[in-house]
Amino acid sequence: MITWHVFQLHVRRLLQNRSELMLTFVVPIAFFSIFAVIFGGGVGSGSTPKIKVAVIDEVDTESSRRLVQSIRETPSLRLMRDDAPASVARTQAEHWVRGGSITLAIVVTQKDSRLAIDLLADSSDQVAPQVTSAIVTRCLAATGIHDNTDIDFRNTAGVDPASPPERFAALPSADGSMPGGMIAPPRSMLQTPLVDPQTLVNIVDVLGEGKSSPVISMYAAGIAVMFLLFGASGGGGALLEERENSTLDRLLSTRVTMDHLLLGKWFYQSALGMVQVSVMFIWAQVVFGVDLVGHLDGFIVMTVVTAATAAALGLMLATLCKTRGQLNGLSVVIVLSMSALGGSMVPRYLMSEGLREAGLWTFNAWGVGWIRQGFLA
Amino acid sequence: MPPPPLLEIDNLCKSFGKLNALQGVSFSLQRGERLAFLGPNGAGKTTLIRSLSGRCKPDRGSIRLMGMRIDRHPSHSQIGLVPQDIALYPDLTTRQNLETFGRFHGLRRRELRHRVDWALRWTGLADRANFKVAGFSGGMKRRVNLACGVLHQPSLLLLDEPTVGVDPQSRHKIFEMLDELASDGTAILLATHHLDEAQQRSDRIVIMDHGKVIADGNIESLIRGTVGPQRMVRLRVDRPLTQALVGRTLGKAGQQHVVTRIDQVSTQLPQLIQTVRQHGYDVQDVQVHAPSLHDVFLHLTGTELRDS
Repeated sequence: MITWHVFQLHVRRLLQNRSELMLTFVVPIAFFSIFAVIFGGGVGSGSTPKIKVAVIDEVDTESSRRLVQSIRETPSLRLMRDDAPASVARTQAEHWVRGGSITLAIVVTQKDSRLAIDLLADSSDQVAPQVTSAIVTRCLAATGIHDNTDIDFRNTAGVDPASPPERFAALPSADGSMPGGMIAPPRSMLQTPLVDPQTLVNIVDVLGEGKSSPVISMYAAGIAVMFLLFGASGGGGALLEERENSTLDRLLSTRVTMDHLLLGKWFYQSALGMVQVSVMFIWAQVVFGVDLVGHLDGFIVMTVVTAATAAALGLMLATLCKTRGQLNGLSVVIVLSMSALGGSMVPRYLMSEGLREAGLWTFNAWGVGWIRQGFLA
Repeated sequence: MPPPPLLEIDNLCKSFGKLNALQGVSFSLQRGERLAFLGPNGAGKTTLIRSLSGRCKPDRGSIRLMGMRIDRHPSHSQIGLVPQDIALYPDLTTRQNLETFGRFHGLRRRELRHRVDWALRWTGLADRANFKVAGFSGGMKRRVNLACGVLHQPSLLLLDEPTVGVDPQSRHKIFEMLDELASDGTAILLATHHLDEAQQRSDRIVIMDHGKVIADGNIESLIRGTVGPQRMVRLRVDRPLTQALVGRTLGKAGQQHVVTRIDQVSTQLPQLIQTVRQHGYDVQDVQVHAPSLHDVFLHLTGTELRDS
């Protein structure tokens, strides 16, 4: 009987506590939904997200135009600019990739008098460059550019002209569907000793050319930003705790003003965040080979900005709550949601276009972007 | 000519929406005076203390400390605040807490060190200087709480229930500490619900209710002005009374005791006992109860609960 009373007691307390109810029932469903949408490709859609690209034609010949047209017609790609690919400069495309407005840029260029394709990409995205490389390779083969004088597949170094490339069997189909729905290239191509078109496709990392561990730096940034937010909300909680136990009244009866107090807390939380992120990246350099020292200036600037912003956000969250308990509930919901959508838990390139757009409203997406750009500058 | 008051509160008013928390509060406080500040819950005590400490801006009226208006420009260096809660950082040591609040009060280097050492001796916690406050007993925390409010040697000390939840020994020690401050010239305004402490440990008592001062004076004047100085006498007799005594004015039939009030214990009490005996009853016990602050307080504020 006593056990039943204890059970009843806790049920009553749970029903009286809205934040605990939310954490118990709403947050798990919200998180399940977020991850289901991320990995399910949208609610019930099951479709593969399109890759947002820009196409630049630096050669502007008949062959290159045919290739560009073929790339344009690929359903898996979403072109940023449908008109005048020759008018866009490569540097402009690099800027778009760095800024995140496109996933990558396909540059049709010329090397050693031959047509070549540069994919300007962010190498921390491990999916999009590979998919696009396969699609472009497929377009090269499907358009029969090997007949064009711009390109000589027969004399490419390192390729055995006697044997047709086995990779052709793994090229994507014209509708852009990925390996599974792939088709073989034209029979005429296979009967001719051709060079593998894939060797003409070169992936260029515009964010961190030569850096050792772009993926690790991205995860380090993601985790760092998430814990910056948790730390900042804890700092805001300290203010609420001071209000609850009258320490705030005592502090404000001294020479301390609210401005002093908030500014001091913001400085402290910012400094703590900077040290926290720095320690994480030092660990990443020592253990995982991330090149921190080589990008120290950019890293410092962006870490300062990110930590200071997170600290301000934590204090702002505290102003929305009356008790530390409320803040704990609110910060768990907000920080975890923003982390899931903003790329701290799952890379944003795995998300659908809609979720990526939604993620841009989160602090995590900005923070991860800032730290990575500073770190990789 | 009396010295000018240290603190002068004149016609102070403060409203929160429709609630009139302070409705023309006026009183003064002399240097070194210990003033007990009483009132039921919701009487306006906390609003007044918050106004004095600069945490609340009055709508009307004035507060002057040493002649200076502090309702407009708070004088933090002259006022010390000791909140009812333990307003300390429990994860810091005694010394660290004292140093922290000392710095916030503007103390620096040698002066800060000197005052912290004084506070550790004053609280009797010198041997616990480097212990975290979180592990202290309630009485020890209260003493540190008090010390943090007086490090900067304020002229006026505001205390809100400084002895809640502490044992009699710690309470005694805390009042010794307060007496020491008062003897050094610090005026003490003590908000409390402990009426016996207020009666015994203060020079003057102010009672507030519904945002107004309803009584102001020492215990004798308050008693004279309310319940009167008469002693309550209760005589227990050997058997129930068959009828009221002395022309049916003393006692009630069926009761085994007689209750009445007398002005002079030395002359009237023997006469009362003699009267009861003359009616054939034997007096077995005598209780004489002097009117107290408790009687005054209930007389002025009533016995209704103030929960709303």
